Amino acid sequence: MPTAFKLTTAKGLKSEIYVPWTPKPVWTPLTKPLSECKVAFITSGGIHKKDQTPFNTAGDWSYREIPSDTPSDQLMVTHGGFDNSDINKDVNAMLPIDRLRELVKEGFIGSLVPTFFGFMGGGGNVDKFEHVTGPEIARKLKAEGADIVLATGGCGTCHRSCTLVLRCCEEAGMSTCIIAALPPIARQQGAPRITAPLVPIGSNAGEPNNPTMQMGILKDTLNAMEEFDHFGQMKALPYEYRHNV
Amino acid sequence: MSLSKETLEAHLNDPAVLCCRRPAGTVLSAADFEDPTIFPDLVDSNLMTLKEGGLTIQQALGATLVNDGEALTQLTPELLDGVKETPAAEPVDEAEGPEDGVEEPCSCCAGPAAPAAPASDGDVPLHLDRAEGLDLVFPAGGAPVAGTPVPPACAAAPVPSPAEEPAPADKVMRTLVKKDYPVTKVELGDATSYEGGVLTIDESLVEAAKKADPLVKDVEMKIIEPSERHVYSNTIMDVIPIAAKAEGKLGEGVTNVLSGAVFVLTGMDEAGVQVHEFGSCEGYMDEKIRYGRPGCPDEDDIMIRVDVKIQEGTGMERRGPFAAHSAADVIVHACREAIKKLDGVEPVKEETFRDVRRAGRPRVVLVKEIMGQGAMHDNLLVPTEPCGVKGGQKNVDLGNVPVVLSPNEVLDGGIHALACIGPATKEITRHFFREPMVEALQTDEELDLTGVVFIGSPQVNDEKTFVSERLGALIEAMEVDGAIVTTEGFGNNHIDFSENIAAIGSRGVPVVGVTFAAYQGQLVVGNKYMDAMIELNKDPEGFENEILADNTTTPEDADRAILMLKTKMAGIPIEPPEHKWDESVIEANKQLVK
Repeated sequence: MPTAFKLTTAKGLKSEIYVPWTPKPVWTPLTKPLSECKVAFITSGGIHKKDQTPFNTAGDWSYREIPSDTPSDQLMVTHGGFDNSDINKDVNAMLPIDRLRELVKEGFIGSLVPTFFGFMGGGGNVDKFEHVTGPEIARKLKAEGADIVLATGGCGTCHRSCTLVLRCCEEAGMSTCIIAALPPIARQQGAPRITAPLVPIGSNAGEPNNPTMQMGILKDTLNAMEEFDHFGQMKALPYEYRHNV
Repeated sequence: MSLSKETLEAHLNDPAVLCCRRPAGTVLSAADFEDPTIFPDLVDSNLMTLKEGGLTIQQALGATLVNDGEALTQLTPELLDGVKETPAAEPVDEAEGPEDGVEEPCSCCAGPAAPAAPASDGDVPLHLDRAEGLDLVFPAGGAPVAGTPVPPACAAAPVPSPAEEPAPADKVMRTLVKKDYPVTKVELGDATSYEGGVLTIDESLVEAAKKADPLVKDVEMKIIEPSERHVYSNTIMDVIPIAAKAEGKLGEGVTNVLSGAVFVLTGMDEAGVQVHEFGSCEGYMDEKIRYGRPGCPDEDDIMIRVDVKIQEGTGMERRGPFAAHSAADVIVHACREAIKKLDGVEPVKEETFRDVRRAGRPRVVLVKEIMGQGAMHDNLLVPTEPCGVKGGQKNVDLGNVPVVLSPNEVLDGGIHALACIGPATKEITRHFFREPMVEALQTDEELDLTGVVFIGSPQVNDEKTFVSERLGALIEAMEVDGAIVTTEGFGNNHIDFSENIAAIGSRGVPVVGVTFAAYQGQLVVGNKYMDAMIELNKDPEGFENEILADNTTTPEDADRAILMLKTKMAGIPIEPPEHKWDESVIEANKQLVK
């Protein structure tokens, strides 16, 4: 800047356009038909196998590998950020593992990766999720040949942690979508694709023991992924479930 | 989203809201609070409500939850034990003030060019145990020490030039004279001529225009008088001034311009599909044009409408719209030939445009984002004749990389716009011919305008990143002190827009963004560098209203953008925006433009 000059200025000018702050776009276009895609599912809602070490509910950036053929009754939740009762009734409310297997059987999607991932995003350490956990999960999913990575967040911070991991997957060449109970957080954190059913945190993938709703949310999400053509798009899904805890 | 210790400091006086479910007995710390920066989003989405009587984070910090608390619960005194008796609302700025009692320079001098004066020079030690009714007056800034950079101007106060340094002379790089010749009548005839204010257009040019491109299936020409505008029209693809080089090349010498008549290109395909994308302005011409906008016909202009029918299904391919523009250019070009030599005819007006480099003034650049996604999202850069087609380089073929034009090149018709995005937000050929932001920056004696950068908005995301990064490198090489970034349209090009602004802002260069957002085009992506923004909306409901050029840049918008840039360059804070489109903010800013 020159050292001596005159500038007409004004005090009290206000920026005229509201700008949500999001990180830079990451985008991997979906190039295959769904019926040929290998699909992965990850969740930051604290799901793990009953025989695995539970998460530290005060904050934990480790993850658990969940074989995609694990029977749903061998899964559980460890998460302090929301009411667990829905997941305790039906783990598919957070990790719709039974529905995903049905989608393969139906031929709606091609196959599932061998390994899903569970982590506990509550109070998540942004730096660790962005630079350690995220890249590790992305690398493993890519190695297993995932084309699509679907995800649920749990609580607010979980949506952030989840989005950070999805962005790593997108960057690694997989098309991702978060099924968001708190879409503003996913959007703000830079989720490449978002679908948003009207569900509470704790049953992000749909009402427990309501396979029709859970299946509808998954199919609509996958169909939306074929429609989305650029970063940051969101689609509201016509499913509503409220629970009073 | 819990707060980190660092972010906590900045939000002590914001409302305390639980980020996640917390059990009774939790002693609240940073990790338990939701990040206040996302409250507006959460409130807008009905995920949360904020009531009066809530505690601030500072008050709630260290207190204990009486009962289990759900995520996004606003904390009130009855929910907590051990709430601190902190006086309400001490402004955050003060809490962040210097701890050692050193008086800070006024905030407007705290820009990057103004490092804090060395402690030995600027300290004002002050200790007060108790004081009431005390008035203290400090000089706004210490006397500059040799070798210390002088801070940039505060408010409207000029920084005096040191007496021994005379103001550096302006350097005129090139001069362009636009000579205006009036048109009082347009008629069709056997030959094209301009004589005595009458523009006669050879009727047989219509046949020649049909042969301009195999995709052109039909061409019709109609003269529309200002008094007879209630005529139905296909969507308006472009408004093209009649201007020809009389001397020199584009951007310098003399350009003869016909005032009082403009070409209007309209089009559809053989199947009757309008040639447009995202909004169309077919309809009655008295209703679908915002007369007087820089891109539009003026109130008194005679419109020469060239309506082109192109091959079915090519309206959304690059070749279709280009064929239509090529056809119209056959006719426009014949008119140019007729006004190249007007010896003995007196122009009614002469306008002189100078590309001036003003040494010693802050260097600024104007970055104009143009569409480059293919189909009709293309532009021709620097054609041979003003606003022409021939000789122009397509920005899509150039890979949408940043291309620098001199301000005079822009104002001499250096952009022929093929873009057919939303009618209300698109910048068409006439817009560039009298671009208000370029005109205002070029004549602003307080600034040194380095050039106008055109950058395309590519279709593919990684190309978007590529061109934005090239822009960043270009800006760095230009060593500018400030930048204005504009974009036409809205939607996916706002990704480019935010990346382009970040490419500049992240290099420490103050930047102002200019776009239509309002209601329909509200931004879905953004970054921290987009903190000084100008809204181009003119529609009462905030929509792309399909009225040609309604929501494009006007001279008033340009004045606000330039004032905002100067203010930002001077280090004076620009207040953060409301969390939704608010016309009163724009009105208040207009009042600050003198």
